[in-house]
Amino acid sequence: MLRSKRSEVITAAVLMAPFVVIYGVLFVYPTVKMVQLSLTNAPLIGAGKWVGLDNYFRLASDRLFSVAIWNTIYFVILSVAPSTLIGLLVALGVNRLKGWLQSVVLAAFFLPYILPVSVVFRIWAWIFDKDFGVAQYVIGPLNGGQHLSIFRTIPLFMPAVAFVTIWWLIGFNVLLFIAGLRNISSEIYEAAGLDGASRWAQFTRITWPLIWPVTVLVFTIQLILQLKIFDQVYLFANGGRTDATIVMVQYIFKQAFQVNKGGLAAAAAVVLFALIVILSVLQFQLLKARGAR
Amino acid sequence: MIRKVLYATLASLALTVSAARAEDTIVWWDFLSGGDGVRMKAMLEEFNKEHAGKIKIDATTSEWGTPFYTKVQTATATGQGPDVMTYHESRMPLGVSEGVVSPLTPEELAAAGIKASDFSPANWKAAQGPDGKQYGVPLDIHSIILYYNKDLLKKAGLLGDDGKPKGLDGAANFDAALAKLTANGVVGLSTATADNATMWRIFYTLLSQQDGQFVKDGKFLDGDNLDKATTAIAEMQKWVKTGATPAKTEYPASIALFTSGKAAMHINGVWEVPTMVDLAKKGQLFDWGAIQIPTFYAHPATWADSHSFAIPDRKGNPVDAAKRKEVLDAIHWFNEHSLEWAGGGHVPAYLPVQESAEFKALKPNSDYVSLAKTAVFDPVSVLAGVASPVYDAAGNYVMPAMNGEMAPADAAKQMRDDLQGQAK
Repeated sequence: MLRSKRSEVITAAVLMAPFVVIYGVLFVYPTVKMVQLSLTNAPLIGAGKWVGLDNYFRLASDRLFSVAIWNTIYFVILSVAPSTLIGLLVALGVNRLKGWLQSVVLAAFFLPYILPVSVVFRIWAWIFDKDFGVAQYVIGPLNGGQHLSIFRTIPLFMPAVAFVTIWWLIGFNVLLFIAGLRNISSEIYEAAGLDGASRWAQFTRITWPLIWPVTVLVFTIQLILQLKIFDQVYLFANGGRTDATIVMVQYIFKQAFQVNKGGLAAAAAVVLFALIVILSVLQFQLLKARGAR
Repeated sequence: MIRKVLYATLASLALTVSAARAEDTIVWWDFLSGGDGVRMKAMLEEFNKEHAGKIKIDATTSEWGTPFYTKVQTATATGQGPDVMTYHESRMPLGVSEGVVSPLTPEELAAAGIKASDFSPANWKAAQGPDGKQYGVPLDIHSIILYYNKDLLKKAGLLGDDGKPKGLDGAANFDAALAKLTANGVVGLSTATADNATMWRIFYTLLSQQDGQFVKDGKFLDGDNLDKATTAIAEMQKWVKTGATPAKTEYPASIALFTSGKAAMHINGVWEVPTMVDLAKKGQLFDWGAIQIPTFYAHPATWADSHSFAIPDRKGNPVDAAKRKEVLDAIHWFNEHSLEWAGGGHVPAYLPVQESAEFKALKPNSDYVSLAKTAVFDPVSVLAGVASPVYDAAGNYVMPAMNGEMAPADAAKQMRDDLQGQAK
């Protein structure tokens, strides 16, 4: 008995070792290094002097860093919940289709997801171009006949990037929701139908509670992903008023790669890391609690 | 006997080694894409053909701006990287502070036939570090110029008998000319009002024409330089406010406005000359020309930068002396052949080419070559240069001011405070 337990432990250890080693080397070690780096005044490459918490104090007093935090949170608000809800709505619609039509529609929604971000940027920069973009035929009349530069007008920037992001990534959410919807046994709906439950009642009493775990999952994935927003904002803002639309990862990029301040960039990265951990744990617990009710 | 065999083997080994040595490879990194990239590839091919069996340049192109410079920085820090690379002169102060570039001694420059007197003093000096050492050898001077549509200028009475614009010097005259053009129903002046680099180049030109200094003794826009900056920004704002220049225009769109005949004038870099030349060759462009940016204030001056060559300071694995000699010889070769590079709109940095009859015959380059004499290179600061915080600041402050979203005085002040804050 005892022997078999020990051999089980050994087997478990052997099986887990590759993961633990890789996790340690590729995640834990760099993270510890990053925290260390954030306490020095090191450049991007090379050693620096110990400066204690100076970088953190500097961040706290840096107006640009607070702009970056607010922009990141603003973007999360604009993108996470909408992309989850729209994903669910599209999935509900697609789920009602049958046969090849369903495949075609699903593929249509999924197609943008496979595009690299640079292509997404090119497509939408072209569509929205102030002088020659096709969207100006719609935007022009709404703006009193004047063409409008969407990505160079600060109040419109984040909503526009959020719109493009939702268009780009919605396919993945739809896929997850469809997998969830297919897991709900059709017998439940049949029974409900026999009992005379309306469509709305079926949705609120059957679909919504049963799809809730998937919703929490999608929401969490989106939250973590969008807190790390960088590519789209960087590309669309490039050459423009970058400070007004800066997000946290962009701030880290700027400090590290543009002005060669590795220590300060690491400090900002630690703050972002902490923010992601806190927010995602918090929201996961909150949503789980609600779902268990 | 055995000894004989051994010697023979050694001798043949030595031969193979020297044979291998016979064709050396120079590893080359650049950031030249588009028309510049095509032109440089042709020159590299020519170089390799001419030096076949002796030297071969193995060139790699990376993305312009921050990606290129980050790659160079990380490579050199780990003893990797090329034997020679292109480097913007404006970026030299930061490069020196990062320890990325290796100083070139007067002896090795002289041995390769590279002389300071073959370059204009400001151009040569811009490739020096704060320590006074030479870190690069310029290949060209590139700047912004004023492209113009002869037909549209003629209609507005702004074209002289020599086919060049007239009456554009002086801020008031320039504005009046824009008004005439706008009255004719055309766009007076198109420029990339949604591009920070273009904003910086125009702003720095107008600032320099007033003798304004962007950085002096580590202080940004100190004293009356702030007022001069305000004046420059206010002038740019006026072009948009009066409707002569479309607001928030992207870089490609600003070119399209000109090439489609909608805009009478266009301010952009010399590197767009091939765009116009190619279109004209296909018969798809009107009669056009290009001149130095008009003198708005006290005297002519134009922002300028240089593509230069530098040898990286690879940590623990420096480029050896023999390779350095070959690299410098190659750099000299490229300067001697820079007439071909001038086809990309650039002004050759190498004076023997810049002053040659062949270059003088090259149109439109020779119409704006005068800018080289009054070229003002980017401020010497680790915060300046291409893709730098200074360029960003132009996007964050000059751009909204030009597009009417900020008062010129506020823009100048905020730009000063921002950069001064980053200098800490």
